[in-house]
Formats: sequence, structure tokens, C-alpha cells
Amino acid sequence: MKKMGMQLLCGMFAAALLLSGCSSSQSGQSGSGSGGEGVGNTQGEQVELIMYSWRPEDKKAYEKFIAAFEKENPTIKVTFKPFKSTEYNTILTNTLTSGTGADIVQLRPYQGTKTMADAGYLVPLDDVKGVSDIQQAYLDAARGSDGNVYGVPLFLNNGVIFYNKQVFEENNVQVPQTWDEFLDVSKQLQSKGIVPVAQSGKAAYLLSMTHSVIGTTAYGGNDFVEKALKGEVNLKDPAFIQSIQRMADMESFFPKDFIGIDDKDAQALFLTGKAAMYINGSHRLQTFEKNNPDLPLDVIPTFAAEKGGTTPMTTWVDGSFGVVKSSKHQEEAKKFMEFLASKEFGQMYSDELNRVSAISGVVPKHPLVKKMTELTEKSNTPYLMLVHFGDGTPTTKTTFENALQGMYIDQLTVEQVADEAQKSADKWFTPQK
Amino acid sequence: MTTLEKGTEVKMTRPAARKRGYKKHLVHLFLLPAMIFYVGFQVYPIFTAFLNSFYSWDGMQRDQFVGLENFVRLFTESPFQEMFANAFGHNVIFFIGTVVSKMVIAFLLALLINSKIRGKEFFKTVIFLPKLLSVIVVGFLFSLILNPTYGALNTFLSFIGLESLTRPWLGSPDTALYTIILVNSWYGLGFAVLIFLAGLQAIPSEIYEAAKIDGASGLRMLFRITIPMAMPSIMVMTILTFIGSFETFELIFAMQGSAAGPYYSTDVLATYFYRLAFGTVEGGESIGLGSALAIVLVLIIASATAAMLFFFKRKEFEQ
Repeated sequence: MKKMGMQLLCGMFAAALLLSGCSSSQSGQSGSGSGGEGVGNTQGEQVELIMYSWRPEDKKAYEKFIAAFEKENPTIKVTFKPFKSTEYNTILTNTLTSGTGADIVQLRPYQGTKTMADAGYLVPLDDVKGVSDIQQAYLDAARGSDGNVYGVPLFLNNGVIFYNKQVFEENNVQVPQTWDEFLDVSKQLQSKGIVPVAQSGKAAYLLSMTHSVIGTTAYGGNDFVEKALKGEVNLKDPAFIQSIQRMADMESFFPKDFIGIDDKDAQALFLTGKAAMYINGSHRLQTFEKNNPDLPLDVIPTFAAEKGGTTPMTTWVDGSFGVVKSSKHQEEAKKFMEFLASKEFGQMYSDELNRVSAISGVVPKHPLVKKMTELTEKSNTPYLMLVHFGDGTPTTKTTFENALQGMYIDQLTVEQVADEAQKSADKWFTPQK
Repeated sequence: MTTLEKGTEVKMTRPAARKRGYKKHLVHLFLLPAMIFYVGFQVYPIFTAFLNSFYSWDGMQRDQFVGLENFVRLFTESPFQEMFANAFGHNVIFFIGTVVSKMVIAFLLALLINSKIRGKEFFKTVIFLPKLLSVIVVGFLFSLILNPTYGALNTFLSFIGLESLTRPWLGSPDTALYTIILVNSWYGLGFAVLIFLAGLQAIPSEIYEAAKIDGASGLRMLFRITIPMAMPSIMVMTILTFIGSFETFELIFAMQGSAAGPYYSTDVLATYFYRLAFGTVEGGESIGLGSALAIVLVLIIASATAAMLFFFKRKEFEQ
């Protein structure tokens, strides 16, 4: 028995040694993964940059971009490491706080970047070539509280009304240009058994997205945004309440029980021609074309308040790339940032992924992306809740969209939705001087 | 079991006792790997959560020590206090609903299986099967079944002419929480049946035979013998159901997301904690407040469980 005990003890000791061996080799790996080889790049020595992103779907495209960069910079190797979007924030926080793992990171726009920049985890990029040529409004998505730029904006998202041209033609109705026309057309479509707008309400963020598209001409677009930022008006202003009223008025044109259906179900309605319109970000174009390349798609930015009125395109920066302060290869990472800020990359990105690039002067290949780019350049307005009301615990944006959900299930009135949002903003919002 | 151990101890010689003492310590060594995992993944997180609840932590890093401020904000500040009350209320409904739907049905099924019916083992397996699935899979499956447009349930109801009963089960605040409670009960039914069955099988058959001779009716035997004698298993199940109801998270998260919609109508303390601590994709997280809520949740579960244990123990003595 004693012998057996000793044998077991020896066995456990060996196992412990083996385990510690494993863990040390693992930490060795992660050390090199962080680009932590210790020294900067001496001539000829290859440096590896690890790049984190929340877009596993775009891996192939990124490999192309990186190949183009590496061709011009043979001493720098970039490894693209994407993570699931829903888990990305936690992974990013862990990477930044531990100072290991990545050299270049994809940053959530606006408040997301600000939090990380303010905590001192990122390198300012104002002096990187090409950054100052990017539109100031887009750079706002990647600024810290100190006003410095900490990320190179990647692409713009537009909130748009997608519509199925064929459905409109077959049912003999005109594509609505104004809010009143929309109400008329929707009634006509509905009488013919077509769902006017394929909207899902299960995830509340979809509601604030729709509000940003159809609400902007109700509250007065950029004029209202400017006044709200200065504190001259707030979210309880009649104009803003009017924009929420539009959301309430649209309810009858949404699918039956839309609060219980997923966005995927709503997309399916639109893809199969059972619904005429679908309101969401321009990034959905990729999804639609993948699922049904023959879908006769077109977009309009929003419904004008009256005939001939303005139709600004709701625009926001979807994400940017920044350089991690603890990276041992900041100079090389900045070189990559220079590449990201170049027109060459912007063009490649737009062509490859059918997105609206944040880099000026890019002419997209895809006719719809081209149309959206032109409309954005002509007149644009921010996604108010995301760009300016994304702060607070919970964020005012979250409070607002959940309140919209509450309105649809008859728990809140239109005015109460505005009240809830303003109460949340009151806790943190300070007007600009 | 106990008499056997006692017997062996009496006959032990001195060197043998010493050897046994040494072996007793060796046994502790075997606990080490489990202990390391336990401390690393259970004790340490609880300890850090406790610590974090006294700090402000709204951005990326822990900020300054704020004492009890997080707890005070949780119960006095809007919207936190309303959200807490709403979520706590739902936890209570979840507990009561689960007791009614899961425990009562499970007890009846256990009675049935314990009686002399054919295919006992088959029923036991079928009832226990759902438990083998992952909660996330169950959540996903039921989201499909309950889908208002193409879900199997509404399609079936329409098919049999009960169209008036179709509704957005998860999309209406009137039905969403109760629907999830029922799904949860379906999922946990097998385990409850097993526990009750073990309790029922432990009742000596002589008692029933004696009662039968005395002319006791079936119902009388149920209330006078079966239920009182199965009380220990009912007690275990009630406490486990309570803990499960107050910790419930996965199913709601899988079916309704962290927002526990529509408009917080399925929100419970754990989903509220998740939103508070981790925010949304866009931000809004507060680890400090979240940790405070986690501590409150632990206190609620621990004190209520202790109270229930005390109550049941007293009941046992009374018998």
C-alpha cells in the first residue's frame, strides 16, 4: 500500500511538472504573439503585428489588404485575428488592461473609443500621414476627451430605407419621397397583402436605428442636433416627440407581432418579396446580395417632411483601427495606420466589401454603394442616439430604444419615451459651450 | 454503513492506525487539483466581486474606493431601483411558477412511475431526456417553436382550429415570462422526477400495507403517508428550485437577449446584473454597480435558503 502511495505521489508530481511545462510554453507563445520580442525593428528583421477585429466574416478581404501592405513593407508581417462581435468587447478590454495580445485593435466608435483612449491604452494618431485629410465629423468617432485622434475610421454606415423595386412596380405604386406619401403608399401596399416595412422589434437597437432614419426629418436634422448639443433643446422638445410619433404611426405598417420576430425573419420577408421596404444600416447590402443576388434593390435616405424637402443621409462611423500603447512595435503599427488612411486602401476596402469608405475621394465600384456615397457627400446627419447619446449607465441610446419597445407593447406613451430618454441624458449630458 | 466502519476501527492495531493516519493525509493531496480549480474559479471571483462592489468602475479600470455608494445607488437611484424591483418581482414569479408547473407535475409523474405501471424505465428516460440538452440549445429550439410567424406552436394551433389562441408568446409582456417559466419547467422536469422518485421509493411498503389493512383510502394514504414521508425530497427540490429561480439566466438570455425584452418584461436579477456589469456593444457598463448587485443576489439566495432550511428542519422535528 505504501509503495502504491509513493507511486501515486510521484505520478502527481510528474503531472504537475508537465502542466507547468505546458503553461510556460503557452505564456512563451503569447509573449511572441503580443509582438513582445523585446526590441524594436532593426533593419532586415521581420516584425509581426497582431491585429484584432470583430469581423470574422471579412477575413478573406483582410488577407488581401494585408498582402498589399506587406508587399510594400516586406519587414512587417500583419496577422489578422478576428473574434466574434458579441465577445469582442471583453476580449479587447482584457488585451488592453493586460498589455498583451495585440498591437492593432479595432475600436468601437464614439464612446467606445473615448473610454479606451481616456484610460490611456491607445496611441494618438494625429500625426499619421493621411489622418488629417479624413473628414472631421468622421474623426469624431475616434477621438479621446483630449481631442486627439486615436483611430483611423474604417467605413461609414448609412441608415437607409432599402426597397424592392419589383414589388413597387408589380403593385403599381410609386416609391414614396415624403412622409405623407409613405403613409399613402403603405396603405395601398397593405391592401394588396404586402407588408410595407419589414421591421423587427425583438432586439431594441433595431428600433432606434429605424428612428434615426425616419425621425431625422421630423426633428429637423442637423439644426436640431446642433441645438441639442448646445443644450438649447432637449429630447422632450416637441420636434423630437414628433419623430417618436412617426415611429408610433408606422406600427400598423410593420409585420404582425413584429416585437416578437427576429431581424432575420424581417430580412426574410424582404428577401422573398413579401415586404416592400426594410430599414437598416447600409452594411445589410452585403447580406442581401449574398442571400439573393437578383433582388432588385434600391435605397432612399429618408422621407422628406414635405415635397421637395431635404433628405439627409443618416451617417455614422462603424469602427476604426487604433494602435495599442503597450505594443513594442508602435512605429510599424503606425505605418499600417498610414496604409489604412490611404486612398489606395479606401478604394480596395470599398470594392472588396461593398461599403462606404471613410476616406475622401474613393469612388465605389458597386452602383448602390456609389449612390449612397454620393448621397452622403451631398447631405448627411449623424445617427443621433449612437453618436451623441451613447453615454451613461445604461446608455441613453439603450434607454431610448427599450422605451420605444415599451411604446409598442402599450406600456409607454410617445411622451413617456421622450421622458425616459431625457431622464437618462440628464444624468451625464453636459451641453457644449 | 456506520456500524461497519465502527467495527473495523475497534480491531485496529497501533502500527496500522499510524499507517491509516498517514494515508489520511495523502488523501488530502488528491483534493489539491480540485481545490485549485475551486479557489481559482469560485472563491477568487466571489472575493473580487465583493471587493469591486466597493469601488467605482464605470469605464475600463477600477477607479476609487466609494464605500457603500454602489449599494445605495442600486436601491435609491433611478432607473436602478425600478429595475431592481421589476427584476426581483420576476424572480419571485419565476420561483412560484416553477413550483407550480414543475414540482407539482414532477411529483404526479413520480407517483405514476412509482405505481405499478408498465414501461416505467421508458417513461423515466423520456422525461429525463431534455436535461441532456444544453440550455442554450433548448432556448434556441423553443425560440423557433414559439416564433410568431412560422413557429410550430402557432401553426399547430391554427391547424386544429384554435387560431384565436395564437399569439406572439415571447413578444408580449402578458405571456413572455410565463412561457419561459414553462420551458424551464419542461427542461428541469426529469431531474425533479428523479429526486421525487428516490424519495417515494424510500418509503417502506409495509406502511402502505398496514394502512390498507386499516382501510385507508388512496387519497388519504397520499396525504397522510406519501407526502409527509417524501418531505425530505420535496424540501430538497424546493430549495434547489428557489436557488435555480433566483440564479436563472441562460434560458432568458438565449430566448430574449440580455435586454430581457420586450421592455424588461422577462428581466430577472441575473440578466439585470449582466446588463449592468457588461453593458451593451456600445458601452454603458459599470462593473462596480454590477458587483454590488451580484453581492445582493448572493445575500438574497443565501439568507432565503437558510430560512427555508430552518423552516423545513423544524417541520421535520415536529413530525
